[in-house]
Amino acid sequence: MAAVQETVEHVKEMEADKYKYGFETDIETVKAPKGLNEDIVRFISKKKDEPAWMLEWRLDAFQRWLTMDEPKWSRVHYPKIDFQDLYYYAAPKSAEGPKSLDEVDPELLETYKKLGIPLKEQEILAGVRKMDEPSQLDEAAGGEYGSGRVAIDAVFDSVSVVTTFKKELAKAGVIFCPMSEAVREYPELVQKYLGSVVPVSDNFYATLNSAVFSDGSFVYIPEGVRCPMELSTYFRINEKQTGQFERTLIIADKGSYVSYLEGCTAPMRDENQLHAAVVELIALDDAEIKYSTVQNWYPGDKNGVGGVYNFVTKRGDCRGKNSKISWTQVETGSAITWKYPSCILRGDNSVGEFYSIAISNGYQQVDSGTKMIHLGKNTTSRIISKGIAAGHSDNTYRGLVSAHRKATGARNFTACDSLLIGSQCGAHTIPYIEAKNSSATFEHEATTSKISEDQLFYCQARGMNEEEAVALIVNGFVREVIQKLPMEFMAETQRLIGISLEGSVG
Amino acid sequence: MSVEVLKTKAEQGLADQFTAARSGLPGAGNAWAEGLRDAAWETYRSAGLPHRRIEEWKYTDLRALLRDAYPPAPALTEALTRDDISAALGPALAALDCHRLVVVNGQLRLELSDAGGLEGKGELLSLGDALGDPSDWLKQTLAQANPPRNDTVVALNTALMTGGAALRIADNVKLNKPVHIVHMLTSREAASVTTRNVVVVGAGAKVTLLESYVSHGTAPAQRNAVTELVAGDGSRVHHIKFQNENLETAHLTSWMTRLGADVTYDAFQFSLGARLARNQIFVAFAGEGSRSHVSGAVLARGRQHNDTTMVIDHGVPACESREFNKLVLDGSARGIVQCKAIVRKDAQKTDGHQMARALMLSEAAEFDSKPELEIFADDVVCGHGSTSGQVDEEHLFYLRARGIPEPQARALLIAAFIGEAIEKVENESIREAFLNFTGSWLAGEGA
Repeated sequence: MAAVQETVEHVKEMEADKYKYGFETDIETVKAPKGLNEDIVRFISKKKDEPAWMLEWRLDAFQRWLTMDEPKWSRVHYPKIDFQDLYYYAAPKSAEGPKSLDEVDPELLETYKKLGIPLKEQEILAGVRKMDEPSQLDEAAGGEYGSGRVAIDAVFDSVSVVTTFKKELAKAGVIFCPMSEAVREYPELVQKYLGSVVPVSDNFYATLNSAVFSDGSFVYIPEGVRCPMELSTYFRINEKQTGQFERTLIIADKGSYVSYLEGCTAPMRDENQLHAAVVELIALDDAEIKYSTVQNWYPGDKNGVGGVYNFVTKRGDCRGKNSKISWTQVETGSAITWKYPSCILRGDNSVGEFYSIAISNGYQQVDSGTKMIHLGKNTTSRIISKGIAAGHSDNTYRGLVSAHRKATGARNFTACDSLLIGSQCGAHTIPYIEAKNSSATFEHEATTSKISEDQLFYCQARGMNEEEAVALIVNGFVREVIQKLPMEFMAETQRLIGISLEGSVG
Repeated sequence: MSVEVLKTKAEQGLADQFTAARSGLPGAGNAWAEGLRDAAWETYRSAGLPHRRIEEWKYTDLRALLRDAYPPAPALTEALTRDDISAALGPALAALDCHRLVVVNGQLRLELSDAGGLEGKGELLSLGDALGDPSDWLKQTLAQANPPRNDTVVALNTALMTGGAALRIADNVKLNKPVHIVHMLTSREAASVTTRNVVVVGAGAKVTLLESYVSHGTAPAQRNAVTELVAGDGSRVHHIKFQNENLETAHLTSWMTRLGADVTYDAFQFSLGARLARNQIFVAFAGEGSRSHVSGAVLARGRQHNDTTMVIDHGVPACESREFNKLVLDGSARGIVQCKAIVRKDAQKTDGHQMARALMLSEAAEFDSKPELEIFADDVVCGHGSTSGQVDEEHLFYLRARGIPEPQARALLIAAFIGEAIEKVENESIREAFLNFTGSWLAGEGA
């Protein structure tokens, strides 16, 4: 009940367009000229002070990208993107390598305050701002924040602006830093793993990302270490007509564990912004990576104008035996979502999991799902997907489960359920199930239905209005997935669901 | 442009066939028939044979699987006797009490058929003859029943069809005996055959339609068969297919069905034979309150490739659809089930469920499944499921603990598995025949 009331209150606070993160922060930025060519790639590389091998890698990707076509197979429709009409690099001026939090533009910190995401990010960032000597935070943090501590890497437009708790993480041997820093500081790790899960020419957007990625997070958890806190990246697109191309690389060495959260927002704009990220996860023997996303990019206004195009390639490689990768995602934003967080189950006995809530309202189009590729013996995977379509939106689940010849004893369970709210939306399910090994046991089930009149009546008979009732029922529908989220995200997600569905009833 | 589209030898061979045969095909000289063929030919010519980049043909790449285009089987062949037909069908189906229509090498052969009982119940025509002087109902049905868009296999059929049965069952006629259309191909050399059946079931009528596809001899063959069926309001149709062609056959069939209001359509396909089989089933609901239950059983081993692809299109409210497929895959056989249920905007109160289950008996067998839902209406209940796995070791143990030797226990479990699908066949004689075929298949005979 508490969650429902919160939702309702929250909705009341909202403005006509219902997107609370739609403010723009007035910060001076450094931008590269519009358009994409080899010089821009060189410019980005130079700005980042990258070694020659990195530039080579980018240029190679750029050359390949020129020969590729945009994928057309997904169930999303949008006007052709003019890739020459975008800025490929925008950085807040003050963000050029802040040595301490003092150097962080106060405007930026104000932005985080406005974002009001009740993640620990906001809380901690606000705390940081009040402190006179933020550098002490790292040392002093120990007892103060207890178990709910989160280390954050904030990415603003294209650049990582601040990373917290660095020192304490370093004590545990954990490396958590902006990608650009990792390229300079840990070239041997980056060279070994970058592009090893999502190859340079994997797909059109991944290749584009490889050429122009500007920043992102790099995480390395050494052998046997359980990361002492949640790691988190917060992404925001601010600048007009920019594309955000971040690159995240997480390596969990033997026997380690890490939980990583990712949150995204963007200001309201008429024109569409492009987000084409690549995330690569590598889990070695006995390691576990838990990756959670709350994606709330600007979805466009109620007439479907504007919004973020979210074309993301996320893939995890369970490279070692007994490793585990778990994706949890809550997708409520973006005008267009095209993303399929996947697991390659290479190591014997490895485990892949995918828990997803995808909510679409207004004119949003979602084509999302997962791939579970069973290569090793006795690998198991589990997919729970909950799609909710309202308004004029289209919500598609597209997934692949495959067992290769040698994947004896592979097991998969998939449940993908869709809920339809209103008669103008569409919900689609397109699973591909390919068993090339007879000992593979695959089970797949899916349902599509609307909220039953009985359930609504029951709630309404108990004094709830229709909107509250819908929010309650939907929260029940997605509970299975919400429970997989880290504590910090749970309450936020429940509220987000209420907001996303606002206006879908009656 | 068009030169590039038809890349492979088979594609070019088909093009040559059409050019050579066009003026001699049935219906030549009739503007309507020629118009149909030319439009269909254009569809084929602009796309070529379907390949794996075409989503619907992802798992069955005809460009790769069809090396050559075999020449059309000669229409008149050496004497084919009723005994030959019985032998090809097998004793159980040969003994079936039915109205038998025999289509040999693409022509309806009345002298081999037993169609006397159909007199006064409607109209039976040889499609090859009727194309030259088509009646209104034929014009309204042929290539109109529920044509899939841009399906080049159906287009090829329209362009190259030589004949088949055109059958109209009058309103309110209830046929007690099944209509059995036997499709036979007899040739010493590699040959192809393109047949088309058109069936119109009148309002309130009741019919069981069995189509058998069997081979006489072991020569390589390519078959492209289409059956178009229109079921009138309140009719009840059982539509069954039996496919046991020789292992050198590439078997492509498409059923295109349109259902009026309050129709009960029960379809079943039983596949044993053919090296390559693609079973396409397109069902469209055009009237409210109808139900369509489409089921299938596939037994495949060796290097057989069996693809069942269905599109169930709910265009109107309050209809019910069920798809239920079971496959037993042995050797390095490959089984595929693709089923797409579309619920259009106005199709409220749709109830749709689909299920595909595969039992894999060998290491090298492969099962691919794509149960697809495309839903644009909110007041619906739809679901799908797909499972694959081996014989359950615990079940096996249970039976062995009761003194049943392992091979028998295994056979018993497989028979029970596939039996669940075969039980959907309402006609007892046909069901028994299918169970018999299953028994012999399990004993290692047949295909």
